[in-house]
Amino acid sequence: MQTTPVLEMRDISRRFGNTQALDGVSLRLYPGEVHALLGENGAGKSTLIKIMTGVHQPDSGQILLDGKPARIGSTLEAQRLGIAAIYQEPLMYPDLNVAENIFVAHAGRRWLVDWGQMYRAAEAILAQLDVHLDVRQPARGLSVAAQQTVEIAKALSLQARVLIMDEPTAALSAHEVEQLFAIVRRLRAQGVAILFISHRLEEVFAIADRITVFRDGRLISSALRTEVTVEQAIRDMAGRSVEQLFPRRHTVRDEILVQVRNLGRQGVFQGISFDVRAGEVLGFAGLVGARRTDVGLALFGIAPADHGTITIAGQSVRITNPHQAMRFGIAYVSEDRRGLGLSLPMSIAANITLPTLQRYLNSLGLLRRRDEVATAEEFRQRLAIRAPSVDVAVGTLSGGNQQKVMLSKWLNTRPRLLILDEPTRGIDVGAKAEVHQMIDQLAAEGIAIILISSDLPEVLAMSDRVLVMREGRQMGIFARHEATQERVLAAAMGQSHTVGTTTAETIGSAS
Amino acid sequence: MNSWRQRIRPEQIRELSLVGLIVIALLVFGWQIENFLSARTFNRITTSVAIVGMVAIGQTLVVLTRNIDLSVGSIVGFTAYFVGAQLAANPTMPPAAAVALAVLVGGAMGLFNGVIVAYGRVPAIITTLGTLAIYRMLLINYANARTITVDSLPSWVVELSRQTLLTIGDFAVRPLFAITIIAVIVFQFVLGYTIFGRRLYAIGSNPEAARFAGLPVQQTVLAAFVLCGMLAGLAGFLFLSRFGNITAVAGQGIELESVAAVVVGGVNTFGGSGTVFGALLGAFLIDLLGQGLLRWLGISEFWRDALLGLLILLAVASDSVILGWLRRLWAAPAVRVEAGNER
Amino acid sequence: MNAKLRRLLSWEGLLLAILLVVATLNTNLAPAYLSLNNQINLFQLSIEKIMVALVMTFIIINGEIDLSVASIMGLAACVVAVLFEQGVPLVAAIVVALLAGLLCGAFNGFWVAYVGLPSLAVTLAGMIGFRGIARILIEDRSIGGFPAWFTTLGQQPLLGPFPFSLLLFGSLFALAFVILHYSGVGRLVYVVGHNAAVARYSGVDVPRLKLGLFCASGLIAALAGVLLAARLGAVRGNTADGFELDIITMVLLGGVSIFGGAGTLGGVGLSILLILNLRNGMSLMNVTGNVQTGVVGMLLILSVLLPNLAHVARDRWQRRAMQRKEVQASIETSASS
Repeated sequence: MQTTPVLEMRDISRRFGNTQALDGVSLRLYPGEVHALLGENGAGKSTLIKIMTGVHQPDSGQILLDGKPARIGSTLEAQRLGIAAIYQEPLMYPDLNVAENIFVAHAGRRWLVDWGQMYRAAEAILAQLDVHLDVRQPARGLSVAAQQTVEIAKALSLQARVLIMDEPTAALSAHEVEQLFAIVRRLRAQGVAILFISHRLEEVFAIADRITVFRDGRLISSALRTEVTVEQAIRDMAGRSVEQLFPRRHTVRDEILVQVRNLGRQGVFQGISFDVRAGEVLGFAGLVGARRTDVGLALFGIAPADHGTITIAGQSVRITNPHQAMRFGIAYVSEDRRGLGLSLPMSIAANITLPTLQRYLNSLGLLRRRDEVATAEEFRQRLAIRAPSVDVAVGTLSGGNQQKVMLSKWLNTRPRLLILDEPTRGIDVGAKAEVHQMIDQLAAEGIAIILISSDLPEVLAMSDRVLVMREGRQMGIFARHEATQERVLAAAMGQSHTVGTTTAETIGSAS
Repeated sequence: MNSWRQRIRPEQIRELSLVGLIVIALLVFGWQIENFLSARTFNRITTSVAIVGMVAIGQTLVVLTRNIDLSVGSIVGFTAYFVGAQLAANPTMPPAAAVALAVLVGGAMGLFNGVIVAYGRVPAIITTLGTLAIYRMLLINYANARTITVDSLPSWVVELSRQTLLTIGDFAVRPLFAITIIAVIVFQFVLGYTIFGRRLYAIGSNPEAARFAGLPVQQTVLAAFVLCGMLAGLAGFLFLSRFGNITAVAGQGIELESVAAVVVGGVNTFGGSGTVFGALLGAFLIDLLGQGLLRWLGISEFWRDALLGLLILLAVASDSVILGWLRRLWAAPAVRVEAGNER
Repeated sequence: MNAKLRRLLSWEGLLLAILLVVATLNTNLAPAYLSLNNQINLFQLSIEKIMVALVMTFIIINGEIDLSVASIMGLAACVVAVLFEQGVPLVAAIVVALLAGLLCGAFNGFWVAYVGLPSLAVTLAGMIGFRGIARILIEDRSIGGFPAWFTTLGQQPLLGPFPFSLLLFGSLFALAFVILHYSGVGRLVYVVGHNAAVARYSGVDVPRLKLGLFCASGLIAALAGVLLAARLGAVRGNTADGFELDIITMVLLGGVSIFGGAGTLGGVGLSILLILNLRNGMSLMNVTGNVQTGVVGMLLILSVLLPNLAHVARDRWQRRAMQRKEVQASIETSASS
């Protein structure tokens, strides 16, 4: 490729608190080329996109547009420079129609809307993409695929030369993916530079001209598609540095605590079957859009399952709200600490006792502050929560300590099944090790644990068995000794030939 | 099914059903009440709808952006009294100047609301609940317990509301109603065919996306409040013309009637959808039901408010329940994966 | 919590300072101003509003609003009056009025908590509708002639110089204070108001809590309406009209966040004192009632606007400080290279 790249990122670094999200990454996007970006969750892909679209600024490094240094200060500036991005869930105006959604962002000096001309222009752009969509239809109720098409049309109407597509196929059916690819090929022919991000390897290999792999915020490899194999790409993604992880002891007991068969929720996930024993850590691995969290939420009754069975300690149960789930001894530690897990302005003590508030009330319904503080103090010592007192607001603590407060909150419900959703996301190495130690200790106490984590080395190191999901489906369950990074990743990416494990659960659900 | 589904949208069905309700109400009342379908009823309803309808246009602009203006009743009262007093003092003031004065005073009050909401980030309900009291205070102080009387006004002011523009049979179209209809047509055009109008919809439809796309959100919201104030000012002038006798309590309660008209007329309280034509229909239906039920059931004038409250609640509930259901029915039946929690 | 606590304290400190200024000015105008009798009298003139402000504090901290309280007050007053007129024993009439208020609150709560409609729209409809029912009952009459025990219900000194209504308010305030700051329900009010999703993910029955609060709001508003009828001695269709302005202002001026999750009854207590003394002072200066209402309207806007402006100013200051630091850093790096 002799032409100058439209957009070149040179030596870009960016830090967020303790995590180095990007570490000296360079990337070139050429006109008429589809450039695929691969990497696990947290490899630094989204940070790069956010820098390209002006949401974040790099700490160091250079951005060149047509070979000249450029600054992308805001999303509006990115738009003006011809850089557009399409996300998994597009930002639409549901009450406006398709044509308006395409043209509303145009900073024109006109006063009036010429509907006829706008419809014609919208139709022309859509025709250019060879898409048939009624431009007079309101955006509300459009399928995700159609919404993405509208976003692409909007990008084209703004003369975008760089199109970033972030997981555009995650919510599309096979047929819709084909249609999207037809559009992508047409854009490529028109000379648009496309950055394509997807977890579906077969798609990447079908559409990309160049494939780049990120891992831990670094660029690992970048080569023409013809020069890489699927296996190689997986190996590049998988070779994650394994930090000092706490060694798991074997604490699995014989007693099956929770038995799940063929669990499903319409349009979200289906066919999930597994057992968890007391003292066992069952890892849930998968990539973005695997819907592992949704399974957790179904077990906790936030978004209940609509078919399948759940058996707890031999008793068949139906869980339709969190209160019920807690009565059955299920606790769910959310991945979203700030949005769903903790009440930030409230004290540590108030957060810890929230789900079990009844226990801390006297007969008049008044809080027994002394008991509450005693409980909180006990957890502060047990989990080594670093805070001056249990009366400080949780919002003032570091991520790791917030995570410990959240764990305390749920341990205080004395759960039998503890669902941990991304328990170490965004916390520092030291706190991470402490959380791992805590997981091991809880398992040793006989608690069954479901560990949902996107940190592959963590899942593999901490789990007795690993359940792999992909797009709402169970791809297999690997025993500890079978679960290697390559195998789990391959299953998570739908390379089905590598899935070879048959377990009691899958036989059970088949019969 | 598909072809008509493409042409008619749930929101339009909402407006059509309003027309249907009005027709049904007319038929029932016409059948049950002697002399209901007469020119007198028509004139009565159109005159009272003229004022509320004018205010409802402005209210629509504001509600479209996910805000509300509760101060319009006070603005109507203040401008009616203020312009009345000016006219009484200078009877030679040209009509155009009087109208301009009303619009200007209303616009200034709307500007105050808009600045506090758009730039001070105070929720509209709080701001306008406050200015509802403040503007009324200004009026009472200004009025100082005096009353504007018909006799003190130049004769053209009161004549305006009694004249007849054109008659179709016995049905007379009064100038006040005509002015409101013209305003409705103008703003139907503004909302449908100007960049400003479409931005109101875009902002109400998805404020997040509007900010992200760099639309001038604050200026647009400010403009909506200013226009709302100007229209309330104009309505104040109509009020003066219709009643002639203006006291310090003039226009009280119009804020609620306008909100009712807007909500019953299908303007979504969450912003983003609805039209001024719908709001006019809403005002029409409310008035029709008020007048009709009073005469049919022989119930007193005092049922009006209870009816109004019930209508608002029904409209809000049906918007959230029925419209949601219609929209689901309308949504493409293709395989859709719900937006998940995993990011 | 510390920063927040300091901000709240400073807000309350501000209220206290203004209160002192107002009290000093008033004392200069009227030497008897600070006498116990005048202060009692001052409370009695607004006793119904401040009672409702207590429960409104819960509702706003919980992230909702109830615009219909004044109409429920009016409705309860009308129910008492009309039933009394029909010959129903007054005590029974009062009970029916309280039940009517409870029902109105439950009606609001149902739509908000279980159907999920915005409380703004629901209680706006309630504000119009409940007032409408009151008008249906009483039309344009004015009903009075209540027995003496009822009309003096509020005002006769009961315990020392303190009349029944003031004692009632005192105990309600103490009760509300204990519930909001020392009970499990109060804890949940804050958690739900700050972030309802966190509460839901912790197994809290959020709809039940909201329904309960609206019921309480209806009941207390009805009680206040009955007391108002007793104090005024006559009931009309527009009794308690427009009271929601004062009530909501008292709550927001007390430092309760309109977005929910923050505020204390201590602050609301201070703002009640402030507004009452301010109104009284304005009366001493012969300022008319409607100007007083206008001033309250300004206070309402300012109570939300001022913290917002302070917030914006602080953000801007911080950003500038950060930019200065960045410039400093870039100078240093360029100097070292």
